[in-house]
Amino acid sequence: MSRTFLVSALNQLWLPVLVIVLLWVGTAGSTNFYFPPFGDMVGAMGANLAHGGLLEDLWFSLKNILAGLGLAIVVGVLAGLIIGEHRRLRESLGPVLDFARATPTVAFVPVIILTLGIGATPKIFLIFLGSLWPILLNTISGVEGINPAVLETARSYRIPWQLRLRRVILPGATPQIVAGVRVALSVAVVLMVVSEIYGSPVGLGNFILRSGSSFAVTDTWGGTLLIGLLGYGLSVVLLAVEHVLLGWYFQRPPRVRRNTQGLALLEREALTR
Amino acid sequence: MSDSDRLAPLSVTGLHKSYGHHAVLADLNLSVEPGSFVCIVGPSGAGKTTLLRCLSGLLAPTSGSVRYGDRPVNQPLAEIAVVFQDYRGSLLPWMRVRDNVAFPLEGRGVSRSARRARADECLAAVGLPGVGDKYPWQLSGGMQQRVAIARGLAYDAAVLLMDEPFGSVDAQARFDLEDLVLRLRRDLGITVIVVTHDIDEAVYLGDRVIVLGGQPATVIDNLTVDLGQDRDQIHTRALPRFAELRTRVLTRIRGGAAAPDPAPPAQLDVSRT
Repeated sequence: MSRTFLVSALNQLWLPVLVIVLLWVGTAGSTNFYFPPFGDMVGAMGANLAHGGLLEDLWFSLKNILAGLGLAIVVGVLAGLIIGEHRRLRESLGPVLDFARATPTVAFVPVIILTLGIGATPKIFLIFLGSLWPILLNTISGVEGINPAVLETARSYRIPWQLRLRRVILPGATPQIVAGVRVALSVAVVLMVVSEIYGSPVGLGNFILRSGSSFAVTDTWGGTLLIGLLGYGLSVVLLAVEHVLLGWYFQRPPRVRRNTQGLALLEREALTR
Repeated sequence: MSDSDRLAPLSVTGLHKSYGHHAVLADLNLSVEPGSFVCIVGPSGAGKTTLLRCLSGLLAPTSGSVRYGDRPVNQPLAEIAVVFQDYRGSLLPWMRVRDNVAFPLEGRGVSRSARRARADECLAAVGLPGVGDKYPWQLSGGMQQRVAIARGLAYDAAVLLMDEPFGSVDAQARFDLEDLVLRLRRDLGITVIVVTHDIDEAVYLGDRVIVLGGQPATVIDNLTVDLGQDRDQIHTRALPRFAELRTRVLTRIRGGAAAPDPAPPAQLDVSRT
């Protein structure tokens, strides 16, 4: 196991390392004002983190995205389980959900700032709102997609509804719920930045806006890099959680798995329309 | 609940079942005594599975009634356990084998340690000791169907209803499973009802074979299998009486008239008690 793990890790690492080295070396002599050397960007990021207040911005942003996404997961999964379980509810809510999903959440920014002001609450709310739809819709279709034989079994063995929800419906829908969360995460990062660019005195989005408008381009690049790292770090965490939750799913022979990655991609396309 | 309530005949009176205008079962009557082994056989599409679903309380009849003792079977009963044809769908892939077997007991509020003990006991009874910690999809098809049977046993039902239980496993595993079910019936004194399209299997297993036929389907023959209780794959299937019985069932399924049942050979009369 350790040997294959090592090979796989090396196989995944060589390209990122190569890209970083190429960037570092290739841009080292850059005198372009707008594209400073990559090394300077990393340096600026480090310096700002250490004593430029960037750590505070990062913390503010991280708190918001975790709160918004966490809230969206709780609400989206609970509502999705209930809606997915009731065909009539699903049918009558369908058009509303499609409309809500098709409206870009960014369009709500002005209204949200007007109503909720410029503190952390409107940011959390915006991230929550944007992340909710992919999670909710994926949960609903995950519940719908549960093998009828599974439900029939639960019925014939008289499994009470709470137990059925917790041990049958929820785990059965989890592969697709996780796919929904994956999409929601990328939406959440976008909304985090946007929410801090408009009407915010603090946060990573505000940092790049502030440094950009004062022509501290290296700092701006440093902040952008940090946002990328934040998004990447969160998706790595999610991947780890996924493998803990879905051990049974990934170890099964591939022919019996549903292709949730494909579904997630479709979902993403729908969102970015 | 007293034992006399638990052990009761399962009776079907004037059962009709239609899907829309399409009648599947019509005026179907049958009765299964406690402790007996009854095989319901019929060609594909004869409505065997529909009948089984009505017997298990998963499907409401259009008219007529299914009763267990003096209680109507209008929902799944605690006395009836179902083993489905599709073991892949009916065993929950996110639960280990032991949890799958014990799951119906969890719904009854049985304590964790008692569930565990009971599950291990039932797994041993179907010849699978020591697989409790595996996942169902790590086992072969025949073993998965054994797990499904163990779950039925753990449920502690008086009646085991089986829908084409051995249809999806290879021939050798099939023989083993047939003998397993015969042994369980003998050891535990449970009632077993097997729905199958396989005539040889029906004659080999049953005390009685009920033949379904017609469009919509009804009972066209109901014969006693006088092959005694001790059956084995090699000798029982080679008996002349076995051949006579299977010929009669096959003739009926092919639409022939009921030939008068030839008197069984004298030496077999002993086992006919």
